Amino acid sequence: MSLKGPSIIRATWALFKKDLQLELRTWDTISSSLIFSLVVLLVYQFTLGVETIREIGAHRVVPGVLWLAIGFASVVGITRSMEVERQGETLTGLFRSPASRATLFLGKFLANGVKLLILELCLVALTVLFFNLPLSAITPRLALILLLGTVGLCELGTLFGAIVLRVGRGEALLATLLLPTATPLLLASIHATAEQFKPTASGDSNWLVLLFGFDLLYFFIALATFEFALEE
Amino acid sequence: MQRSTARLGAVTLFLATIGMPIASWFALQYAPTEKVMGDVQRIFYFHVPAAIVSYLCCAVLLAASILYLAKRDLRWDDLSRAATETALLFCTLVLVTGPIWAKPAWGTWWTWEARLVSTLVLQILLIASLLVRRYADQRDLGARLASILGITIAVDVYIIHKAVEWWRGQHPQVFKAGGKGSLAPEMSQALLVGMVCFTLLGISLMFLRYRGIRVESRSEAIRARLDRGES
Repeated sequence: MSLKGPSIIRATWALFKKDLQLELRTWDTISSSLIFSLVVLLVYQFTLGVETIREIGAHRVVPGVLWLAIGFASVVGITRSMEVERQGETLTGLFRSPASRATLFLGKFLANGVKLLILELCLVALTVLFFNLPLSAITPRLALILLLGTVGLCELGTLFGAIVLRVGRGEALLATLLLPTATPLLLASIHATAEQFKPTASGDSNWLVLLFGFDLLYFFIALATFEFALEE
Repeated sequence: MQRSTARLGAVTLFLATIGMPIASWFALQYAPTEKVMGDVQRIFYFHVPAAIVSYLCCAVLLAASILYLAKRDLRWDDLSRAATETALLFCTLVLVTGPIWAKPAWGTWWTWEARLVSTLVLQILLIASLLVRRYADQRDLGARLASILGITIAVDVYIIHKAVEWWRGQHPQVFKAGGKGSLAPEMSQALLVGMVCFTLLGISLMFLRYRGIRVESRSEAIRARLDRGES
């Protein structure tokens, strides 16, 4: 795998732009995963009920529900972004281009990440609305937690997305691979978010450091193995 | 490689056949009854060795996956498949014996504890990796994808170990780092015998399965060649 000079940045940017342009034209991925995660939020809100949530404390319930919705949304979104390549039969074109496999990974990963982050903006706003959270819960620190969690999810998701693309079993297989593997990441994200939603935030940053560590680890695994998944 | 693995498989199977009754005697007769938990604690002498063997198989899985990706020799893929299946078997044993022990000891079959959940996650991932191998329409593709998953799963096993420290669950700490274990000497001996015998059993099963898979792939290759010759 060659990672040389600015050409890799240009190629990654081109791929990233292509994916994002495609999304901005149709809003296909974001809208479908947003509706899906909205349903997840609503179902939880409906089954738990306002009273129960108030009794247990929102900070104990909401982080799990929020990250579950994000996890499901990432499965839907990433499958969609890989499906597009298959339906348009554009994979061969990507393989034939001078861009290395590492570039393909980086481009897809960045595009998936940005799409998921846009979705999370809506999702956090809806969570505050549905679960009656104080606006003071939304801080730059929460944004950092969401960013770190999303980076990890998209690193693993992009790698597994490529695997699912090759064997063609869609969301079911991606969910089976991604969600269990991402358990440590999701747990760390949920704990970090829970700290944030507590009435008195403790400012404990252990979970953030752990999240960052997971992101680094998954990045190297995904970057090192991605080319094997896409080999012809 | 073929003959030596066959011999290794046969020798370890022979030793395991002798060893398993001895290990059972150590676990059920030799080891003293634990004061608080009583006889149910004896599951420990099967539960812990099974967990160790599933980790060992994951180490083999990691090595075989990396070697397959580096060398593209399908024999490494066969070994990684054998390791996955053996790891799955022992992982299932851990998950079956765990709750039986946990119910009287903790008062609950299942609890939100890091190592429990991580072992379950490991089991799901091992099944998923076998599924990916089956779904792939070409042998090489399945081998490559399963190798990627093998590496990811093995790293996950490392996190399982670390997870106990990070989440500080209620899983008993058998081996305390740097300190003396809380086990009576007879208990440690029974555990040690169990570990040796289970490891022998694990290795023998893995190599037997490896040989089975080798025979399978060779007969498939012959069938493919015959099909080509006929058409």
